[in-house]
Amino acid sequence: MKRIRRICLRWIPLLLVAMLAGLGAATAPRPTLKPFGPGSLAVIREANRGRPFILAFWSLHCAPCKEDIVLLTAIHARYPQVPIALVAADGPNEHAKVARSLAPLRLGAIESWAFADDFAERIRYSVDPEWRGELPRAYFFEADHQAAGRSGVLDPAELDAWLVRVTRSKSPPR
Amino acid sequence: MRLTTLAALTSLLLLARSVSAAEPGAMQHAGHGDPTPGSPGLVDLGATAAFDAQGTLWAAHKTAAGVSVSRSRDLGKSWSAPVAVSRESEPTDAGADARPKIALGPQGEIYVTWTRPMAKPYTGEIRFTRSLDGGLTFEAPQTVHHDRQVITHRFDALTVDVRGRVVVAWVDKRDQVAAPAAGPGAYRGAAIYFAISDNRGKSFGTDTKLADHSCECCRIGLVPRPDGSVVALWRHIFEPNLRDHAIGVITPDGRAGPMERASFDGWAIDACPHQGPALAVADDGTRHAVWFTASPAAPGVFYGRPREGRVEGLRKIGGKTAERPDVAVLGREVAVVWKEFDGTRSQLRGLRSPDGGETWQEVALTAADGASDHPRLLIWKGRFHVFWNTRLRPLSVTPFP
Repeated sequence: MKRIRRICLRWIPLLLVAMLAGLGAATAPRPTLKPFGPGSLAVIREANRGRPFILAFWSLHCAPCKEDIVLLTAIHARYPQVPIALVAADGPNEHAKVARSLAPLRLGAIESWAFADDFAERIRYSVDPEWRGELPRAYFFEADHQAAGRSGVLDPAELDAWLVRVTRSKSPPR
Repeated sequence: MRLTTLAALTSLLLLARSVSAAEPGAMQHAGHGDPTPGSPGLVDLGATAAFDAQGTLWAAHKTAAGVSVSRSRDLGKSWSAPVAVSRESEPTDAGADARPKIALGPQGEIYVTWTRPMAKPYTGEIRFTRSLDGGLTFEAPQTVHHDRQVITHRFDALTVDVRGRVVVAWVDKRDQVAAPAAGPGAYRGAAIYFAISDNRGKSFGTDTKLADHSCECCRIGLVPRPDGSVVALWRHIFEPNLRDHAIGVITPDGRAGPMERASFDGWAIDACPHQGPALAVADDGTRHAVWFTASPAAPGVFYGRPREGRVEGLRKIGGKTAERPDVAVLGREVAVVWKEFDGTRSQLRGLRSPDGGETWQEVALTAADGASDHPRLLIWKGRFHVFWNTRLRPLSVTPFP
């Protein structure tokens, strides 16, 4: 009995602290998910001026996209100097689900975005008028921000070749 | 003892974290100073509609109360108050090719289906309800399929066959799940299943497979024929990963008939197009199809008449932002609609053929500011109408000139 009381005394304050920390996390202005609207690509490009980056679109409703996200997190660990913006093509009604599905992943400095509204055509058009919404869809921006779009699951070898090339060129590391 | 407490502590922390991640309030807010007509946080626009024998238009759409049914007696100019048909705010599938479906029976029955997402990603159940009192009340929803695994049963399609039987088809992953554990790729994609109710939707018969290896995430076109069969058109995965289309038949006795390839774009991709085809079948059996492909050789929206493993009358539809086409047929008259974003507005565009798809003329329709659903063609009194649910003009109907 005494032992139980001792354990309780030792652990309950810790438990409370942990819960408070959890609550703190819930209210902190942590930018878990940024709304991606028609002006967002310009913002991302401005933040990455003069260096290559990857813009990758996925969705809660796209099973093949899962592989890509895992691959991109692995890539990010190896090439942290190449920024990655991950954009869920899911509207505000699904942002909570998007955040939940990303929570277990080690995203590191990968930025997470999600479609700011349900006018998907307009958002897609702002990125690339020729993209019809198929997912996954990724854009590989060179240091001069020339970009090539690619639909479908990423090919690790192809991705690696691109990363080797762009990180070898003169773009300064962060 | 200590270890257990530690474990409990850790899981509590994790729980708190996941709750915090799921909290919409934790997110930044959209579009400061941007008068976006995309309207964050509103109900999905996914909707379908059907005319009954008296010309009353019935729409299945979403409201804050869930899947709802509304009625218009003046071609969409005014609508009755929506009647909620899903219960206890059960969630409904979102995403580009998910929407509630409505179909009418020969005795005024109103049938509605939708997909209820389940806890795991990509999983769902096909839900069904009916009204036998002219839309005043709807029965408690039931799940159409007998398979109750928490897997993909999604992208419901609904029709009523010539004998009044309710036919529901959907995308189903039971065969993928049951495939030998040779890792991913052991079974290409999903399968198309269907179930039939011969008692006005009181219950459904067995789950029957129409075809293996459908694409996982696209709407299905489903059309009843005078001989009692039902024709289905869907995006398939031909070996090794060609996401072109296939056409199949549910025979009059409710079995899976033959399947054949219906498009030959050669779009080799491991992706979710989220854009299924549409189908109309003329009285003489000619199949009119519209679909989307992003095959590098010829990307875009296409019209064609699949016949015995080839496509006749192939034609590209619209410009480079054309999407979400639909097709309808009335004797020799064929109508095609689609929407096309021009950088500012979504243009609703149409094509009409007077001769079964041999020659075409473009018709002037309308345009929408802000978000919009797929346009759908309907037929009433020998004329085509376009049903289009847009944010600024909900459940609108535009006559086809």
